[in-house]
Amino acid sequence: MVKIDSINIDEALRYMGYKDNIDIDNLKDIISECEKRLLSSAEPRYCYRIADIEKTDGITVKNTGLVLVGKSILDHLAECDSVILLAATLSDKTDKLMNLLNVTDVTSALITDAMASAMTEQLCDIAEEEIRQERGIKYTTFRFSPGYGDLPIGIQRNFIKALNADKKIGLTVNDSNILIPRKSVTAIIGISNKPLPKQKRGCAICSMNKSCQYKKRGAHCGI
Amino acid sequence: MEFKKLLEKDYIILDGAMGTMLQKMGLKPGGIPEILSITDPDKIISIHKKYIEAGSDIIYANTFGANSYKLKESEYSVSEVIKASVRCAKKACEGTSALTALDIGPIGQLLEPTGTLKFEAAYEIFKEQIAAGKDADIIVLETMTDLYEVKAGLLAAKENSDKPIIVTMTFEENMRTFTGCCIASMALTLEGLGADAIGVNCSLGPKELIPIIEELSRWTRLPIVVKPNAGLPDPVTGEYNVSAREFAESIAEMNKYGIKLVGGCCGTDPDYIKETVKILSGLTHAINEKTIPAAICSPTSVVVIDQPRIIGERINPTGKKLFKEALKNKNIEYILGQAVEQIQGGAEILDINVGLPDIDEKEMMVKVIKAVQGIADTPLQIDSTDPEVLEAALRVYNGKPLVNSVNGEDESLERILPLIKKYGAAVLGLTLDKNGIPKKADERFEIAKKIMNRALEYGISKENIFIDCLTLTASAEQEAVMETLNALERVKKELGLKTVLGVSNISFGLPNRGLINSTFLTMALTKGLDLPIINPNMEAMTGAVRAYRLLACHDKNSSEFIEHYGSDVREKPEKKDADYSLEYAIEKGLKEKAKEITTVLLEKHDAMQIINDMIIPALDKAGTEFETGRIFLPQLILSAGVAQEAFEVLKKKIASSNDSTVEKGTIVLATVKGDVHDIGKNIVKVLLENYGYNVIDLGKDVEYEDVLKAVNENNCHLVGLSALMTTTLGSMAATIKLLRENNCDCKIMVGGAVLTYEYAMKIGADYYSKDAKQSVDIAKEVLG
Repeated sequence: MVKIDSINIDEALRYMGYKDNIDIDNLKDIISECEKRLLSSAEPRYCYRIADIEKTDGITVKNTGLVLVGKSILDHLAECDSVILLAATLSDKTDKLMNLLNVTDVTSALITDAMASAMTEQLCDIAEEEIRQERGIKYTTFRFSPGYGDLPIGIQRNFIKALNADKKIGLTVNDSNILIPRKSVTAIIGISNKPLPKQKRGCAICSMNKSCQYKKRGAHCGI
Repeated sequence: MEFKKLLEKDYIILDGAMGTMLQKMGLKPGGIPEILSITDPDKIISIHKKYIEAGSDIIYANTFGANSYKLKESEYSVSEVIKASVRCAKKACEGTSALTALDIGPIGQLLEPTGTLKFEAAYEIFKEQIAAGKDADIIVLETMTDLYEVKAGLLAAKENSDKPIIVTMTFEENMRTFTGCCIASMALTLEGLGADAIGVNCSLGPKELIPIIEELSRWTRLPIVVKPNAGLPDPVTGEYNVSAREFAESIAEMNKYGIKLVGGCCGTDPDYIKETVKILSGLTHAINEKTIPAAICSPTSVVVIDQPRIIGERINPTGKKLFKEALKNKNIEYILGQAVEQIQGGAEILDINVGLPDIDEKEMMVKVIKAVQGIADTPLQIDSTDPEVLEAALRVYNGKPLVNSVNGEDESLERILPLIKKYGAAVLGLTLDKNGIPKKADERFEIAKKIMNRALEYGISKENIFIDCLTLTASAEQEAVMETLNALERVKKELGLKTVLGVSNISFGLPNRGLINSTFLTMALTKGLDLPIINPNMEAMTGAVRAYRLLACHDKNSSEFIEHYGSDVREKPEKKDADYSLEYAIEKGLKEKAKEITTVLLEKHDAMQIINDMIIPALDKAGTEFETGRIFLPQLILSAGVAQEAFEVLKKKIASSNDSTVEKGTIVLATVKGDVHDIGKNIVKVLLENYGYNVIDLGKDVEYEDVLKAVNENNCHLVGLSALMTTTLGSMAATIKLLRENNCDCKIMVGGAVLTYEYAMKIGADYYSKDAKQSVDIAKEVLG
């Protein structure tokens, strides 16, 4: 289990559409209560694998049975010969907390949901850093998840299988390709032996481009 | 040799890893190892043979992942793969005394409530595997992390075969599985359901499993199974760090806890088995005489009846108008609210009774049990007079429940007790029979004895038999009060059974009921009452139990009592006249204040006036501020939540005065099939309810047909569908199509992060709601 002591509240607020001029005095107590409950219930875990890739018709991740297709992942891994496959989850305890809050207090449910998303990102940051240290990796791309750009979300199942993530961290995927427990991430991180040019990590590659709530209000999700 | 015969040996030796051996032989990662039984049977047979040569009495066939979910994209069927795998194992056993086990691992999808795989669907998946593996000698369920999944598998095995069943689950160092299942819950539940041996496998090495085996040994009389990994894998190389010799030494350390079936999991090979056989040959199986405590459980929480425990009585429609309404409207959330309130009040077990003449009790019981399990860890008492309802509830209950109830009539005993035995529950026996409730304590004692003896005959162990000596109303039968208590005392002392009593009846028809109730409760506790059934929201009742636990020296160092009352600072009496307006409370998010103010306002104003002149304008103001960006979403919902509290006060008043309803029309809401994101839908619901609409919330992952059914049953003219993922937009389109095909006279609004106006129109919706606020505008347009 990964230890996380506090939640990036600013990030969580941003997910909920917060802008600087809004006075949030009446939410302060609720926010700190939600943070406390989430931190005590979540069980953040991750697992990963490093694999070489081969660019043929799409990208074959060697020894995993995983093939990544589409232009966006090809661009993303243009300078890379190997990748980190990462899976991370806050565990089903977070789902249970959310279920409870949905019955007792929808405001807390909404805030906790955003906080759990922020916490999942924090977990991924920590995981990435630990992996880099452990394996002496210097240059990497940002995290690219199934469903970004034209990388099909349908690979979730094989992704979970390649990492044995159901057994290692209790992460599964349902028939709609939704990760379960809900607050979970799978991501591909490219590894390179030389510094990488700054990558476009903008709205253009995003599958939510047309309907994005952040974009509609002139904001950005941060991915 | 039969499994029964094997049990006569000191130890039964299982095999080691299959996957590890296949990898050593060059299995390509990403492939399905079970298919090798068809494509390369010799390889599989040779691995089995090595384990048999090393000393294994039972070998696991290569069937671990051979289920319909994992084989979906393979060219072979479940039956083909399992039959071939069992054939390989049997071939390897030929000429030896070794037995073949059908090995069943987790399905690979998480079950409800967290996941979307239904309990009943999981049962079918296992059933298919069990049918295909009918030539094996034994059934093994292993590497399980979800007790609910194990229950589906175990039921499938018991109901579709007569083979011995071994179950092992996988625990982490915190002594729980990934889904939070604790060791005691596993033992209580699986022993009850009729497993033949239980234990642990995988995830940790033998050293780390020692405390887990120690804990397990306290909770089960069954043979204990242990199948550890070869230590922990190196994060970089994946190599396991415990040698065969060290492995065997740790196994020997566990011997004192009574282990009986021993093998290896990931990273082990025939050498590990050989070393284990060698070390065990110098030992004898330790037989641990033990008594298992009376206890019931959910997967995550065990309630041991070693001191008075509170059963919450509030989930029961008797005499409750709002509760009856909720049942008729299938308003599960109302019932869940009752559950949460009682747990916060101090309930340790919740009674679930949803019996009402006009509803389908069985369907409702299953729904409520599944829903309560989704939010609470508290174990449940299943309460119904209908054996069919009880059985349906026992099937879907996750853990070991208490069943309320059986009585001294032969018919009741014959119908209920077999169910208790089959599903491994505890049972509550009422001391009454066809002649009614006997007047005298001695006669009630005799019925209790009859119930106990009959239960024992059915193979139900003594710690699972509880007796209720029945409370009669003091105002009608004053002399009966002491008879009840005397009967209770005898049952407890002479039969050694746990006792239960519904307390609140005692005061019926008397003034100051609370005083009578708490006094009677205290009297009963001193006579030996274990499980008072009370309203835990009444402080005097819960407080009496807590004080008793302190005084009777159950609450060591008074720590529980101090935790509850230590910081009890008497609050200054609040001013009765409203310091703030209701509008202010809604704006600032002051829930408690809003309730108080509303109560005061009701003295002078009628409910509709409060809604139209105060609540709606305050909500409109919050809506405008949200639209102009002066507040953001959580603040809008906070205000809506406060308004909802005010509504609750008004609703209670309306329900008690039979006034006209405040509701403007009915709206059905659902998160579509396959999707589990329901925050957005819940926010919409809160807002719509605030504006006086009756919302029927079908929840998440809702079948298309269920939406149609709800629309028809409730004569509903507006449906709201939500989907968050692109992958579930198809479900949304299919739901709309079904509603249209059936010519439903309703408008459809859709919303969710990935939707656009264009897409909404394309799939045939009438409205696209960009946010929760807009859904209110749409409702106003459609329903007025």
